[in-house]
Amino acid sequence: MARCLISWVWFANDPDMTPPRLTTHRQPLRLIKDRVATGLITAGGVGVLLAILAIGVFLVWETLPLLAIGDTLAMAKLSPLAWGTLKAAVAALLFAIPVALGAAIYSALFMSARLRSRIKPTLEMMEAIPGVVVGFIAGLILAPWVERHLASTLALIIWLPLSVGLAGLAWRLMNKKLRRRLPFSWAGLWLVPWLALMVALALWLTPWIEQQWLGGDLRQLLDQRFGMDYATRNAMIVGIAMGFAVIPSIYSLAEDALADVPTSLIEGAQALGASRWQALWRVALVAAGPGIFSAVMIGAGRAVGETMIVLMASGNTALFSASPFEGMRSMAAAIAIELPEAAPGGLTYHLLILAALVLFIFTFLVNTLAEIVRQRLRRRYRHLGGS
Amino acid sequence: MSELSANLPPRRDRFRWLNSLWPWLCAASVALSVLMLAALLTLLAVRGLGHFWPASLEEVTLRSGESFAGQAVREVTLPQQEGDERLYFTGNRDIDGARWRWVAVDEIARRTQPADLIRLERTPWGDFIGRLEAIEQHDQRWEGEAAWQRLNALLALPISQRQDSQLLLTTTNGETLRQPLANVVSAQAPNAMSAWQKVHAWGEGVWRFLSEGPRAANTSGGVWPAIFGTVLMVILMSVMVTPFGVLAAIYLNEIAHQGRLTRFVRIGVRNLAGVPSIVYGVFGLGVFVYGIGGSLDEWFFSDTLPSPTFGTGGLLWASLTLALLTLPVVIVATEEGLARIPEAQREGAVALGATRLEMLTRIVLPMAAPAMLTGVILAIARAAGEVAPLMLVGVAKLAPQMPLDGEFPYLHLERKFMHLGYHLFDTAFHGEDVQAAIPLVYATALLLVLIVLTLNLTAIFLRHYLRRQRGNEC
Repeated sequence: MARCLISWVWFANDPDMTPPRLTTHRQPLRLIKDRVATGLITAGGVGVLLAILAIGVFLVWETLPLLAIGDTLAMAKLSPLAWGTLKAAVAALLFAIPVALGAAIYSALFMSARLRSRIKPTLEMMEAIPGVVVGFIAGLILAPWVERHLASTLALIIWLPLSVGLAGLAWRLMNKKLRRRLPFSWAGLWLVPWLALMVALALWLTPWIEQQWLGGDLRQLLDQRFGMDYATRNAMIVGIAMGFAVIPSIYSLAEDALADVPTSLIEGAQALGASRWQALWRVALVAAGPGIFSAVMIGAGRAVGETMIVLMASGNTALFSASPFEGMRSMAAAIAIELPEAAPGGLTYHLLILAALVLFIFTFLVNTLAEIVRQRLRRRYRHLGGS
Repeated sequence: MSELSANLPPRRDRFRWLNSLWPWLCAASVALSVLMLAALLTLLAVRGLGHFWPASLEEVTLRSGESFAGQAVREVTLPQQEGDERLYFTGNRDIDGARWRWVAVDEIARRTQPADLIRLERTPWGDFIGRLEAIEQHDQRWEGEAAWQRLNALLALPISQRQDSQLLLTTTNGETLRQPLANVVSAQAPNAMSAWQKVHAWGEGVWRFLSEGPRAANTSGGVWPAIFGTVLMVILMSVMVTPFGVLAAIYLNEIAHQGRLTRFVRIGVRNLAGVPSIVYGVFGLGVFVYGIGGSLDEWFFSDTLPSPTFGTGGLLWASLTLALLTLPVVIVATEEGLARIPEAQREGAVALGATRLEMLTRIVLPMAAPAMLTGVILAIARAAGEVAPLMLVGVAKLAPQMPLDGEFPYLHLERKFMHLGYHLFDTAFHGEDVQAAIPLVYATALLLVLIVLTLNLTAIFLRHYLRRQRGNEC
């Protein structure tokens, strides 16, 4: 009795302490609860995983009726769409890969740590901008503007890299004091106004050059000399807009891969006499190669499946043309436009679901490949005794 | 031969100066990305918010003697010709038959900004730009400044109380018009406004954009139904995705045997986040709408067939589809949180006699809660910006009824709804007067970007903050 009282007082004074309990096998209710909950979680988890699996099963099941029809019709309907998808993705990647990889190399290896901790989330925020907003800007604002200023746009593509070289040269010629004020490790930031200035300069000068040398209108020249049509919403616009959307995903993954390269490797190369760029080009890039590859793959997967940007910026004409100044229709856009109108069970319906299946399989394979490569890379870094 | 090559520097060295150029190009890539992002956001902010600023109205007299009133919109250089052309928004579609007018700048003889020009927003026919002559109500008549004050007083009343008032309006080229006051939404005299009044009018414009429904085939008015539809759909989606995502993550991480199969499943789930959203839309249409919805119609709503109830796109199917789409996001984020919990915590709990359920609910889940929350916020951000799958499973250009109202059962899951992203797409590409709608599209785009970016920033800060807190603990 006394012991009981003492223990009661003890527990009352210390609320954190719970009284000792019986072992679990003597508390059937707790045990049953645990069993039931485990069962429920298992059922829920497996159910969710099955639901995800159902997507693939559904797509395959709905395309089966096409086997009976034969594939010539399907090919005739789908091949322009496949071409359009490919064209849009290639255009986007042509713009996105150099910019994203350049940005990744700079921010992983040259940028000051303080700037990097700000810039990286900012660029990753780009990924969150909805495709429909990018598509609207590209299709309704950028496309008509580029149509009116075609020469300026093309000039910008050449002029911007040149002007950066100019900036590098000017930096080299600057005196030391100024150079310390504008260090290269912050160049990612202070080049922004420089680039803006250069864009303004190009826009101001090109109409004059166009007037002098190209006879006033580049579009007319293209049409007369090369027989190239110019559609307002074309592959170039799609490339710029979708490139903008794909840059952050490639950048983020490639930057991770480059930043994870063991510093001992780069330092070793530099100790052996390599310049910073040589160490980077021959050692860091090679070591991070698989990671960069998987970043590009994931970017490609995104570019192939992006719907709204292509829908809004491409003109949606199902053409076979390699011209960067003509439109295209991608599979994703065709699905978005035609599927709501297609009668369920009809030929178009099944064909569009086949297109969806192709997209699904393609992106799934590409992503799986990228993921496996990345996991292998992580193991390799660990092997190299990385950070 | 060997002598010659010995004299020349090796080929690589000749291009050595190029090596110092590459880092600059890399730096410029960062600068270019930042510049593009900044340009996009600035464009959206300036155009989206600038639309609500009361723009001054001009009275333009041409060399031919003709005059009109309007708001200057933009100027374009003429192709192949000297000189510029200016676009005016002139309104008065019921009188002129058009709302826009291009004028060559050279032809303009005189531009003035008279203080008595007013701009009326009306429900049919769109805006009116001109002068207010008088107001007639029953037998009373107000003229001049008194008319303007009376108009503002009347507009403050609800529509039912201003039935029989008539406005006498004149355009700048002398035509007169009788306008029933019941059709007038708002009135402004922007040239007479002080800066403070303009700020006030701007705030009012923003508020009306957020709180009113669209008018005139989505080219004017607000986006309230679209905001409401988006929020409701996203809430329904998160109610569905959170428990299932967390369940699946717990199963994968805590219960399933960690072997080759689990690893494959994990890679599979991770990759589903990369599958295009339109594919989920196809799945939603085929399985939810045509499959499940069609069967539900046959069983429960056969009296209304062939017009479908659940067999067509609707709120329920849209949120289910988006839940499926965002499931990988939640699973991956939760799993990351679960994996970061030290094994010692679990072992400690079990060693003290806890069952697995107790260990999960008292130790593991509270510690993983921030990660789950991050996952759900990211899922919401993704769902709020996603449009393509919604086009297949139930978004509407203009929903006649809200999906939530006072009628039993209050929440109408089968109804179509409006969505900000789709509203933007539809107004920009299928409107009848795209030119007039573009300012509103900018505003909608800005709103959408703000919502999505705010959600993402919240998730980032939450993760950052909690990681640091956790870092101190360990």
